[in-house]
Amino acid sequence: MIASIGWHPVAASSDLPTGHVYQTQLEGQALAVWRSAEGEVNVWEDRCPHRGVRFSIGVAVGNELQCQYHAWRFASGSGACTHIPAHPTQKPAAVIRATIFPVIERGGLVWTRVAEDHSEGTVPLVRDGVVMRALPVNRPAATVEAALLAAELTGATFFVQPLAEGQSVIRGIARDEASLRTLDSALERLRRQLEADHAVI
Amino acid sequence: MLLYDNAMLPECYAVRLLSGLLGVELDLKTVDCYPGRQHREEAFLAINPLGTLPVLDTGDAFLRDWLAALVYLAARYDSSARWLPTADAGRLAAVQEWLSIARLLQSSAGAARLHDSIGMATDIERRRREAHDLLRMTEKHLWFGERGGDDWLVAGAEPTIADIALFVHVILSEEGGIARMPYPAVRRWTERLRRLPNFALMGGVFPMPALDASRTLLSETECQAASAQSATH
Ligand code: FES
Repeated sequence: MIASIGWHPVAASSDLPTGHVYQTQLEGQALAVWRSAEGEVNVWEDRCPHRGVRFSIGVAVGNELQCQYHAWRFASGSGACTHIPAHPTQKPAAVIRATIFPVIERGGLVWTRVAEDHSEGTVPLVRDGVVMRALPVNRPAATVEAALLAAELTGATFFVQPLAEGQSVIRGIARDEASLRTLDSALERLRRQLEADHAVI
Repeated sequence: MLLYDNAMLPECYAVRLLSGLLGVELDLKTVDCYPGRQHREEAFLAINPLGTLPVLDTGDAFLRDWLAALVYLAARYDSSARWLPTADAGRLAAVQEWLSIARLLQSSAGAARLHDSIGMATDIERRRREAHDLLRMTEKHLWFGERGGDDWLVAGAEPTIADIALFVHVILSEEGGIARMPYPAVRRWTERLRRLPNFALMGGVFPMPALDASRTLLSETECQAASAQSATH
């Protein structure tokens, strides 16, 4: 397992088909992740600056994200509002923009960071492989990381995405396609143990 | 055909949705179950002693189960057998398996939604846990399906009534406090479904533009330029 400071994988490249807005969280920050028609990946706060509606129920249209509620559109890259249907002839004010986060796409994963402190941390160099299915676990990231280390699973590199209080997602890059199902089942077993240890009933 | 219907119930929505996709016209008769409690009145109990909605009056029979109504509509009106693959034993059984999962979603996610929306008494935490267990299973199935090129619950090029039956409960899950964020492959599948032509909506279900339409939007400026040009000619 590789621990990375600040930067975390929050989606797989394959999670972002045309038109789709992927919904996730990092350290309590709600995120909307999407790919423009030109292939640029965006990680934005999952919140429309108009009325605060989640961007992730909207749709990516070409190189813009269109909000589900009043169909305001926001540009890939800058997050600037480009179009307000109620005022089709006016250019939206420059201050209306989505909150954007830095993005690096590497190893088939989309990485970002949301922490205020920008001084430290890089995206680790990852070996090429096959991106595994993301597995959400209802346990804190530190607990999941410790359990992954103890489990000594081989054949993949794992990363733990801290979602919010008490929740995380295990992501991984497997060496080959053939081991995907086996590793997925191993992670599911690990999750059952972790969540059972903590079961309310 | 007459559907005893209620606009807010996912089970009624499933029947309206499939009939729209099949191009079958239904007459709707609204039964006000909340707050009207018309589903407990003698007139309705005479039609359906269970007091549940929807009921599909086919002219020959009253179908009192929403999944039975889906089976009936597909078997009767879809001559291509795309929605209910009756001639393929393996796929037909797979459809039935998912219909059973849809029933479990009704009693978990569906119950949680009724709890949150109209105060129906239930063990809410337990219902949510049950729904999440089903969604976890569905997520795994759909994720590996996507890798193998399968877009729908049952392997094959086209969706089946299984997709419709699960969809109506999945898409309204957040109204019962069941987040869909942990289920990205499920979220993508709900978008693929919503992009089908003639896909009916209900309150709380948002439209997805067809991908062709979004490509048209993409070149909107070109369209404007073109129309401006043609206007000058
Ligand atoms: S809330 Fe997004 S456009 Fe109004």
